[in-house]
Amino acid sequence: MSALSAHKIMKNQLVLRSSLCSLMTIGFFFPHLAYSAPKPPDINISRVGQQIIVNFDPSKDATGYRLYYSKFPTLKRIESIDLGNKTQYKVTLNEKDYYAAAVTSYNLDGESAYSNIEFASLNADLLGGATTIFDESSHAFSSPAPNLPEKELDVHLAGDAEFEQTFVTSPATINPGLGPLFNNTSCEACHPKDGRGAPPEEGGEFDSMFLRISIPGKDTKNCGAPNPVPDFGTQLFQRATFGVTPQAKVIVHYKEETRKFADGEIYKLRTPSYDVTPFKPFPNDIMFSARVAPPVFGRGLMDAIPEATILALADENDRDGDGISGKANYVCHPVTKKRVIGRMGLKANNADSFAQNAGAFHGDIGITSPVFPIDSAANFPQADGKKDDPEITQERLDDVTFYVQTLAVPARRNIGKAGVKKGQILFGLAGCGDCHTPTLKTGVLKDVKEVSNQVIHPYTDMLLHDMGDDLADNRPDHLADGKEWRTPPLWGIGLTQTVHNHTFFLHDGRARNLIEAIMWHDGEGKKSKDYVNALSKEQRDHLVDFLNSL
Amino acid sequence: MQHKFKTLSLAVSLLATSISSHATPQQPGVVVTVEGTKVTAFWNPVIGAKNYTLYYAPYPALTPINSIPMAGKTDLTADLPVGASYAIAVKSNDETGSSDYSNISFFTVKAPNSADADASVSTIISSIATNVILGTYEDFSVKAKALTNALLKFQFTPTDENLRKVQFAWRDTRSPWEQAESFLFGPVDTKGLDPALDSWPVNRTDLDAVLNTSNKLDVPFVSGLNDTLHGFHTIEYLIFGEANNKTAATMTAREVEYLVSVTSLLHTHVDALANAWQTSGGNFVTEFGNAGKGSKTYPSEVSALQELVNGMIGIVDEVANGKIADPFSQTNTELVESQFSFNSLLDFENNIRGVENIYLGRYLQKDGAGLNDLVRRNNAELDTEIRQKFDAAIDAIQAIPFPFRDSISNAQGRTLIATAQAKVSELQTVLESKLLPNLTSFK
Repeated sequence: MSALSAHKIMKNQLVLRSSLCSLMTIGFFFPHLAYSAPKPPDINISRVGQQIIVNFDPSKDATGYRLYYSKFPTLKRIESIDLGNKTQYKVTLNEKDYYAAAVTSYNLDGESAYSNIEFASLNADLLGGATTIFDESSHAFSSPAPNLPEKELDVHLAGDAEFEQTFVTSPATINPGLGPLFNNTSCEACHPKDGRGAPPEEGGEFDSMFLRISIPGKDTKNCGAPNPVPDFGTQLFQRATFGVTPQAKVIVHYKEETRKFADGEIYKLRTPSYDVTPFKPFPNDIMFSARVAPPVFGRGLMDAIPEATILALADENDRDGDGISGKANYVCHPVTKKRVIGRMGLKANNADSFAQNAGAFHGDIGITSPVFPIDSAANFPQADGKKDDPEITQERLDDVTFYVQTLAVPARRNIGKAGVKKGQILFGLAGCGDCHTPTLKTGVLKDVKEVSNQVIHPYTDMLLHDMGDDLADNRPDHLADGKEWRTPPLWGIGLTQTVHNHTFFLHDGRARNLIEAIMWHDGEGKKSKDYVNALSKEQRDHLVDFLNSL
Repeated sequence: MQHKFKTLSLAVSLLATSISSHATPQQPGVVVTVEGTKVTAFWNPVIGAKNYTLYYAPYPALTPINSIPMAGKTDLTADLPVGASYAIAVKSNDETGSSDYSNISFFTVKAPNSADADASVSTIISSIATNVILGTYEDFSVKAKALTNALLKFQFTPTDENLRKVQFAWRDTRSPWEQAESFLFGPVDTKGLDPALDSWPVNRTDLDAVLNTSNKLDVPFVSGLNDTLHGFHTIEYLIFGEANNKTAATMTAREVEYLVSVTSLLHTHVDALANAWQTSGGNFVTEFGNAGKGSKTYPSEVSALQELVNGMIGIVDEVANGKIADPFSQTNTELVESQFSFNSLLDFENNIRGVENIYLGRYLQKDGAGLNDLVRRNNAELDTEIRQKFDAAIDAIQAIPFPFRDSISNAQGRTLIATAQAKVSELQTVLESKLLPNLTSFK
């Protein structure tokens, strides 16, 4: 049963109950009096330590009150407690509890409608637990976690400096080793202010995104990774050091189409296509997957989510029949060579922050490390034959890993605003939270105690989901098929405009704002998309207000 | 028009009194800032200069011209009466004589705007956006144009004197940019202009390879190259040489061809930056100035205040813990910023002055409401403390013997560098621990 119908039934029960009351009291006992149910109270929820306190002023003519509550985000089962004539209710919550709550007042004539609906939890605004910072500026993604002790902060800052380093062609006294094939010259160039990249405008070329490529089949020596394209590999390099031929020139085009919400309002979606001119002909069966660089903050928390927690959310064969499966990806860890769960990458195609960073240095910038000591172009015609590997030390790599692991997560904003709260209910009722899981608890991440044992609100289940044909890249990546993408975290998403002066979302940046991103959902996300499609303009705005508060 | 004429006539009269010769030291570039009745002139240290002379003349009369011997000092601060109006220029001197005049800077001390003290947070934000940020970028644009013109002139007449003028124009363009590093947010970041303007290190391997080809080094070709072959430091490397030893004779034709294009490209990027803020262009000045009043990018006033203070802290941190600390702790001249031009100390000073500009709400002679007005009425002691930290940091940077790349490896220099680093760190600490956390409560 969907959340929506459960909600309707609940409402109907209320109406029914109050109708029954009315019949009995007014019609039967007091036929001469036209008394009615009292008005609902205005409630306020506050928190003291672990305790949540619901407070409200007495309603005129009320003889008692009933507290209704339901778990966020599902909002499926609504439970209630009769408060009698008390106008305060205290309850001790557990750290992961997250509820929506409302109160009705009643008297012999019946029961009121709901009061305002409020949310109750211990740390809902602290999206990153103790690593949360309160910063609404463009630095929101690029600040150290506030719980870092001084010694660890020094390592973080050393990693910060590395993240900003620009690499140049060997030989050079500072930062040699760029390329010879690369996508960009520094980490920061694709992840500005530790946030997301952007797709090019119509007719433009890539700067902070690239194409993954492969041919059918799997790389059996590498835990079933995509099969490299001969002479090209698995990542298309559109740049090269001077005198070296880049692998391809890529131009982006968009096709726009007009659609309508149920209420008749028009919206437009644009589909990108890529005009690729390779340095030599591609094989006919080549597959492409466009990927914009995602934000890099909060990565330590994602590393620290226990595998068991992720697997508990998985439902690969949709046994519960809710239309949502959820599948974990498994990849080779580049150091241990063991098969491990994939957490990073837009298809969960990388093990963890460490693997992601080593891979990005190696691929995106062409910088070899002790983890990947052979140059990314070594087997291609563009190989430079320079004997200068590894080009960065293990220490530099470790510092960058610690840096992204200990970047703070920005706190929520505007949580007291009515529209934001309404939007949060809609988020729940639309079923968004079925994949964008609000609350998780991290386990222990070795050597990074700041991110360990934190209750966080990443709004991801870390799992792969079929997102339908329109978003499909049709390029399998480990266990992810051509329609599956990993649920991206939503924390900080409302600060994208402030940090980047753009709001391009989804794997290839095709969505120009949050509502477009929602309307691109399909496959397992279709039910939620349809729900949003049927909302009023005001309700859609509330939903976006909620997302912007993250 | 009239103003232009006066400028020219002063230049002519000043030049008439000068006894310049090519062997004399290079002329410094002078910057004048006015905040209330406090006027500060500062200029870059010059290689080989023993001392400096500051010349001033009442404006617009421009006569008489007076001078003040400055010994080795590179700044002068004076409290002047309202209405005081002067033209200022500086010369550097050594045993062989005096340099040409620096650029000439004009200023007028205006009656302080009493409304600034009570300016609303919103007014403070929009005043900083207009006076400081847009003001800096527009000045930057004027200076970048002068740099391209100086290069064109050198291309036609490649003399040492014209190379000096190019080098002078480079320093003069560098100043507003280094001050602008205290607000590296908005279009400079989101349009990728920072790396286009100021990539470091220079990709010298690729630059040599480019110069060794027979490609036409025109703007379309040069703009297609990576950012590590663009911007200030590529130009700096080519016009100053590896150890500030470039002469017209050692400059190759290919280098000049490259320089003309890469400088033109720099000018284009600077104009794009100024345009992105101008009301007639991208109008980010309004987007920022309207924080909390309908701005999409800055939904709250606090978001804009945090943006400003984070920007200030960011560059102060970089000066203390990057620009000074990296070459100092490793005693490595390769890590020195602006190492080819020996402009490092002026870079650091301009960084801190840029932070001060945001705080005081002024740039050069544009002076309006600043963060100081907000701080003073909420916590006057904190305002005093912050101002003291600014002065101490700038004094300590100026006390480091020039050039910085030599001072990192001698005992006296190292002592003074350590002091400067400590003073800049103290400024960072007060901004980080006392200003930033209080922004949400200041009214």
